[in-house]
Amino acid sequence: MSAGAPIIQVADLWHTYMAGTPFEHTALRGVTIEVRAGEVVGILGRTGSGKSTLIQYLNGLMRPLRGRVVIDGLDLGSARTNLRLVRERVGLVFQDPETQMFEPLVGDDVAYGPRQLRLPKQEIRARVRWAMDAVGLPFDRFKDRYTFSLSGGEMRKAALAGVLAIRPRVLVLDEPTSGLDPGARADLRRRIQDLREREGLTLVLVSHDMEEVARLSDRLYVLQDGVVAADGPTRALFADAARLAALGLRPPEPVQVVQRLRGLGIDVRPDALTVEEAGDAVAALLIARGPRSARS
Amino acid sequence: MSEFELLRNITLGQYLPTGSYLHRMDARAKIVATLLLVAAVSFTPTLAGNAVLLGVCLGVVGLARIPLRYALRGLLPAVPLLLILAVMQLLFFGRAYDPSSPVVFRWGWILVTAAVARLVLVSAARFVELLLVTSVFTLTTTTSELTHGIESLLRPFRRFRVPAHELALVVTIAIRFVPTLALEAERLMKAQASRGGRTGGSRWRFVERTRQMLPVLVPLFTFALRRGEELVVAMEARAYTGGAGRTVYAVLQGSPADWLVPAAALVFLAVMLRAPFPV
Repeated sequence: MSAGAPIIQVADLWHTYMAGTPFEHTALRGVTIEVRAGEVVGILGRTGSGKSTLIQYLNGLMRPLRGRVVIDGLDLGSARTNLRLVRERVGLVFQDPETQMFEPLVGDDVAYGPRQLRLPKQEIRARVRWAMDAVGLPFDRFKDRYTFSLSGGEMRKAALAGVLAIRPRVLVLDEPTSGLDPGARADLRRRIQDLREREGLTLVLVSHDMEEVARLSDRLYVLQDGVVAADGPTRALFADAARLAALGLRPPEPVQVVQRLRGLGIDVRPDALTVEEAGDAVAALLIARGPRSARS
Repeated sequence: MSEFELLRNITLGQYLPTGSYLHRMDARAKIVATLLLVAAVSFTPTLAGNAVLLGVCLGVVGLARIPLRYALRGLLPAVPLLLILAVMQLLFFGRAYDPSSPVVFRWGWILVTAAVARLVLVSAARFVELLLVTSVFTLTTTTSELTHGIESLLRPFRRFRVPAHELALVVTIAIRFVPTLALEAERLMKAQASRGGRTGGSRWRFVERTRQMLPVLVPLFTFALRRGEELVVAMEARAYTGGAGRTVYAVLQGSPADWLVPAAALVFLAVMLRAPFPV
């Protein structure tokens, strides 16, 4: 994927929660990451590794006291920077975003963001229509539905549309598919991929789901105890089994299968990430061996 | 730094284990001592008396080995309210309160008597004292100690059909959920801000702030109701049947020495009630 200019730059960022109280806890200890326009960056890490804290800096929910955060040319450390501007450029979708919906009608809830931007009525309507269509909730069918009558998957999508309606350049997703059933999960993943491919959105994806991260992201950062413990292209990072194990992470299952085959001395292509790729790699091997393997 | 860190300013309902004498004390004795101190604060209208009380409260904070800065932090959210209250009292009481008191300040129609000035100082001091006493109590007492303490203290009233166990449970749940709700409110404020919502902002623009709170309050109520329901289901699932026939795992075993503190508090209250403070 072609990556453009840096749109998010975080350098040596530190964060301490409840500073000055007995519950003080340092969540980030000098994190440096960069996201370029048009790419999909995955952030991995166990619970408590600092992922959620980090992404709150990406749309100006916090200003750095130590370290530098520059979002699309806006320096969060500068008191003159308007944080609302930052939040218009980077949309942050929290974990379980459906819990933040408050309007009785779906369309009204999606329109909350654009209305806060004080846009003209026509523009608000256009944005809501676009956002709802983009996540797969057709505007005409869903705008007047009651929010609480939606299914879990539909609610998640509506909440996502609520952030998209601000028309951010970057979308930060925290565990976007957690708690959904497999069908809704696959559907939402496809929509996220579409957002990148059709709308050219830059994505930052936080997830525990290795399969999801492998499928969607170009590049990865692994956080551990508030520092970046590893980073690199998804394929290269997942192929390095020893390094992943040292970080306490298990690669996606297809990668594990390929690695075990290689461990048994079978020469499968090592960089397969998804079920389809692993299948193709094994099939290629079987075809190459062809008649011999059929006989034995 | 964050404009959203709510929990940082809420000291009520937290437990801070420092292993002090007050932490190890029998919860029942601690409840009684706290109530006596609260009574002492409530019944002391004089400046000198409140100075003494403030000193005693600071002493209690020290005894609990709680950092003073942390104990005082709970005051921050209430500062605007306290200031407005003080201004109202100074502006509008005039001669209505204790007309015989000498006038210490006069400017146009604004008139402040010595009695009103004292009232303002005393009510501010009382607020600080009450906050310190109650904070120390919750910071040194786990919720289960609190429940058992209240229940055990209310037990004698059961013959008058006072539902001791249920009352204790209600108190416990209410206190337990203060930090939970604060965290959820924080999360919702951040989520709405991410959608361009205008939360936070100036502490002084009440009407605007209240209107802005709606996108946070509606989901917060939903959250609270859902949590309440989950709690009920969880209790039902564990065959909770209320107080009758229930035994406890950790039996409160206060030594008689624990009751020295409430005894001291009682003596203190008596002294405060009788002491001839001049102002």
